[in-house]
Amino acid sequence: MDLPTLREPRERVSPRARLMWQLSNLLEGVVTVTVLAVVAALWDAVDLAWWMVALALLVVVAYAAVVPQWRYLVHRWEVTDTAVYTQTGWWARERRIAPMSRIQTVDYAETPVARLFGLATVTVTTASAAGALQIAGLQQARAQRLVDDLTLKADAVEGDAT
Amino acid sequence: MSAPAPPAPPGEWQRLDPRMLLVHPVREVVRFLPPLVGLFLAGAASGGQPWQFLGIVVPVVLGLFRYLTTSFRIAAGRVELKRGLLSRHVLSTPLDRVRTVDLTASPIHRVLGLTTLRIGTGTGASGDDDDLDLDGLPVARAQELRADLLRTARAEVVAGPDGVPDDPDAPPAPERPVVELDLAWLRYAPLTTSGLVVTAGILGLGGQVLGNVDLWDEVDPTSWHVGLPGWTAVLLGLVVLAVLVVAVSVVGYLVTNWGFALTRSRGSWHLRRGLVTTRETSLDEERVAGVTVGEPLGLRLAGGGRLTAIVTGLGSASGSSTLVPPAPLAVVQRVGGAVLASTAPVTVALTGHGPAATRRRYTRAVGTAVVLAAAVASVPLLLGAPWWAVAPVLVLPLAALPLAADRARGLGHALSDGHVVARSGTLARRRDHLEVDHVIGWNLRATWFQRRVGLTSLVATTAGGPQSVTVLDVPEPLAVALADATLPHVVRQFLAPASQDPPPEGVGEGRGTARLPG
Repeated sequence: MDLPTLREPRERVSPRARLMWQLSNLLEGVVTVTVLAVVAALWDAVDLAWWMVALALLVVVAYAAVVPQWRYLVHRWEVTDTAVYTQTGWWARERRIAPMSRIQTVDYAETPVARLFGLATVTVTTASAAGALQIAGLQQARAQRLVDDLTLKADAVEGDAT
Repeated sequence: MSAPAPPAPPGEWQRLDPRMLLVHPVREVVRFLPPLVGLFLAGAASGGQPWQFLGIVVPVVLGLFRYLTTSFRIAAGRVELKRGLLSRHVLSTPLDRVRTVDLTASPIHRVLGLTTLRIGTGTGASGDDDDLDLDGLPVARAQELRADLLRTARAEVVAGPDGVPDDPDAPPAPERPVVELDLAWLRYAPLTTSGLVVTAGILGLGGQVLGNVDLWDEVDPTSWHVGLPGWTAVLLGLVVLAVLVVAVSVVGYLVTNWGFALTRSRGSWHLRRGLVTTRETSLDEERVAGVTVGEPLGLRLAGGGRLTAIVTGLGSASGSSTLVPPAPLAVVQRVGGAVLASTAPVTVALTGHGPAATRRRYTRAVGTAVVLAAAVASVPLLLGAPWWAVAPVLVLPLAALPLAADRARGLGHALSDGHVVARSGTLARRRDHLEVDHVIGWNLRATWFQRRVGLTSLVATTAGGPQSVTVLDVPEPLAVALADATLPHVVRQFLAPASQDPPPEGVGEGRGTARLPG
């Protein structure tokens, strides 16, 4: 290999993120299947066998069991003095690098499910609509510290970040 | 021409040109035309006194009020526009946020020697009420104001760290057109899809109108006697349609691009064009992050292309970023080189993306075509049609082959003279050139399929135009090298430490000096 490769970001998200993703995936899946089943039951045109619903539920459970694990293995992040580096996704892996000098806003958000697990999401935006970096599943205290840290570092750089 | 009013002192609220007193009432009457027509019909039917003429008074008075209630000023580093009779609007924007200045003159404006000055600030909001339009300034005054606005915007940019703005009192450099419309370019007009779209729109509208007046019921197809056999009639119809499309595209090209000229003066690019409504767009040079050479298949086969600018702070939808309409590729490349201040990025040979990317083009094109063909064929087959009846769908995968070959040939990237260059696509091929200073981040996206064959899609994010430039399916080491070469202070720290294998000659330290091949 005579050309460089990128290494993974150093930090993982909180292990509790797995449970959070599992719960929200399970909730979403069960709600979707239920709605579809009820619609099918009310609508005479489709005759849905019970095993079809069972199969759909099985797919949902399998998805909720496997994908969050996979996602947890992929999700990583790192903040240095000059840049933010994140890696997200599972099937499609996305690595994003943004220079500190181009950071415009730092968002902190807790969804209801995340709050249940004491987790939060930090989103770093740049002037490009295609460039937001998101770190989901951070411990709340850790996320708060990260926001403060990022705000300080981004402030230290001059320019209008476009 | 009336004598120009003495210009108001700067910082005072001032009205727009009084000649707008003629424009606004006419415009309001046009806007109120449907109810006015109804009123007149009702009045004529009922006979008696011609009261219906009073109906015209309402829009005329509204137009007068529109003039009287609109005023603007430039004070304390901001442009402010105040308007509205019942609900007052005050729009205000800092001068250093001005990205573009447009001068647009509709036919009625042109008769009166007026023009509309539109200030583009690149906000996300795009409602009619949120535009900073100074509707109705004398042409000379508008040009003066445009120069002021752009100079201020530019001074803010230039005076940043260096603190030496351009001499604001320097006489304006004589404008030298970089490119002007050549009527020979008209041959490219029918090769874009715009003529087809407009023709379809006209035909659709015509059909709807005919449908509304119940004309279709009068048409009895069985009574048609064109005196021609069926196939000839169909062929003739197609020829007529083709002629129509060509005519519409040529006329459309002329109406949009008549008098087209691109000039450069005092740190801005000025683009002028339009037959009926003239439009002058000015782009602050500092905000031009790059250019895109668009080569849709039709244009490319005829050796043509078009040029658009990637403007920081302007979305691609705003439409004011066209630099050259469909024209010979040589012209497009020359202008692109002039805008980038270097011809190297526009003409440089690109590094291809290798066999894996080529294979991926074939699998994707042919795979999609096969799925599509299967879906199309399955319905008649399930309904019991014989296999030979659906055989024509086999054309789809076959047609996908040359498409894939062309897509694979088109893939490429380069880093040339401070610009990231990326090319992709076949039906709508584009070659993007983005200045390295305007790259504000890198995204590397790879699905499991892509990772398996060592490819990644590298996306340079930017604050202008399409918001990003994608280098499609590039081998990962090349992608990392490109990202590293553009943002070395940022990307270097995330590179993998030298692997266990003894590094090849000159690479241990040399990660820093790693170059893209080619």
